[in-house]
Amino acid sequence: MLGLFIFIENMISFELFYMEHINLIQKTEFGPLEYLMDEENEGANTQPSTMEAEDKTLVFVDSLDDYLIIIQTLSSTLRQGWLELASARHSMGASRINTALLSLKHHSAATTVELDYYENAGSTTKSPQFSLCKWTSTDDENSSLKKENMEEDEQLKENPSSRDSENQESSLESSKGSETTASPHKTENHKERSKVLSVFGTLVSPKLRASQLSFETALETLVEIANVRSSILETHDTLVKDMKNTKE
Amino acid sequence: MYGFEAMTFNIHGGYLEAIVRGHRSGLLTAADYNNLCQCETLDDIKMHLTATEYGPYLQNEPSPLHTTTIVEKCTLKLVDEYKHMLCQATEPLSTFLEYITYGHMIDNVVLIVTGTLHERDVQELLEKCHPLGMFDSIATLAVAQNMRELYRLVLVDTPLAPYFSECITSEDLDDMNIEIMRNTLYKAYLEDFYRFCQKLGGATAEIMSDLLAFEADRRAVNITINSIGTELTRDDRRKLYSSFGLLYPYGHEELAVCEDIDQVRGVMEKYPPYQPIFSKLSYGESQMLDKAFYEEEVKRLCLSFEQQFHYGVFFAYMRLKEQEIRNLMWISECVAQNQKSRVHDSVVFIF
Repeated sequence: MLGLFIFIENMISFELFYMEHINLIQKTEFGPLEYLMDEENEGANTQPSTMEAEDKTLVFVDSLDDYLIIIQTLSSTLRQGWLELASARHSMGASRINTALLSLKHHSAATTVELDYYENAGSTTKSPQFSLCKWTSTDDENSSLKKENMEEDEQLKENPSSRDSENQESSLESSKGSETTASPHKTENHKERSKVLSVFGTLVSPKLRASQLSFETALETLVEIANVRSSILETHDTLVKDMKNTKE
Repeated sequence: MYGFEAMTFNIHGGYLEAIVRGHRSGLLTAADYNNLCQCETLDDIKMHLTATEYGPYLQNEPSPLHTTTIVEKCTLKLVDEYKHMLCQATEPLSTFLEYITYGHMIDNVVLIVTGTLHERDVQELLEKCHPLGMFDSIATLAVAQNMRELYRLVLVDTPLAPYFSECITSEDLDDMNIEIMRNTLYKAYLEDFYRFCQKLGGATAEIMSDLLAFEADRRAVNITINSIGTELTRDDRRKLYSSFGLLYPYGHEELAVCEDIDQVRGVMEKYPPYQPIFSKLSYGESQMLDKAFYEEEVKRLCLSFEQQFHYGVFFAYMRLKEQEIRNLMWISECVAQNQKSRVHDSVVFIF
């Protein structure tokens, strides 16, 4: 959790630096966006490239807007998670939920972030792409498992009351045993979640499980932010390059 | 049938009953909570609490405050009041007062054992222990590898020794065994406390039976809900329920097989005292159940003060004080996290 907090702090400070950089570019190198409108008046030869630049600028601004919305989503998810944690502590007692219970034993991370680079069309540079591998402490890196995780998480996000029923689903699976309709990956995920939460005891309040899901969602949002930022930077670089070429 | 407590109670218990009733009138009121809920910062909370009986405990705390500091200092006040009452009490009131702290002792034992299993420093764990549950040899819990050693090396000389007979095994301690140990100890403690109160008889037996039965029933519901979706089997779950209370034995049989919150609701709604609690919740919801149970508990604890010449007022005061500290913790967390709109989710007014 401390690592998550440090990561968020770094992301936010980078975002502030980046927004300043954007303002600086607009003010010094390119001026206001009316510069693009001036380009239109220069004649038919430059029109297609101007429209292309406008399209790219629009894409860039849309990406920025999406990015800011995702940042807000992250903030509200984290707030919800912290409040749920406080609620669980209120319910179970301070002696059951405190930092002194976190395990200092050597153990592998339950969730890892993978970084790949992919080449952009029409560009020589490679852009980073982040992806989350959840519940991989058993070293099972099956990509179908990842897909199952993502599908399950989307279902959980759509239906908040299924946070309670998720446990019930898994209990039904384990008690019936021969249920073939339930995904075995869901049961594995549930076991991994319970294993991680077992530092606070085996019989924990549903509020603690809810807070775990909130922080899990926040982690996914962080990875999404990293990918959106990567695409913003890429779009920005393309835009800057096009602007320089147009100027020349 | 009461045994003329009015004639003899005040000889040994009159002073302390007066003391505890005085403490009761120092509990925070709805007006105090309304002021606290409007605070913007933890320093504002500290300023408001300085004007209450918590004043001497908080006034010298430096800023910036932390929520755990507020809880710690408020708990210190409770501990001081308890120790004053305990040192003034004679038998059987002194034993009764000691019984009230055994729950905290169990929590501390489990905290030390769990923390040691997770390779935490013993000093760090001792700082997190509840002061009411401390005993001399608590630090030596860290050397035990299984429950047999736990009992033999440390707990045999503590008041928890009689409760260990049901859970002594040579299995190594792990998360599941520790959880079962915690709940088995607590079950044995509640049953023992119940038998002790029955032996005292009179108004104490009547009032404490009701309060302890409610505690046992609430525990049964919480164990059921918390064990849904875990590896705890139905038989193990049934073994953790206390053998008294309104739900014993038929309610326990039904709760043992519940696999979701709606089934638990179906079981509890058959019992008239618990039907209003579950009728407040919507289907599939368990978030507000804790608050509903706390409200019911506070109602019963306040009613115990309506009668005189019994020991139930001491138990009631300790529990009401713990509820007050929980309220303060919740308000502090909401203020610290800038979530004041959620402050009324978990605050239970006492008066």
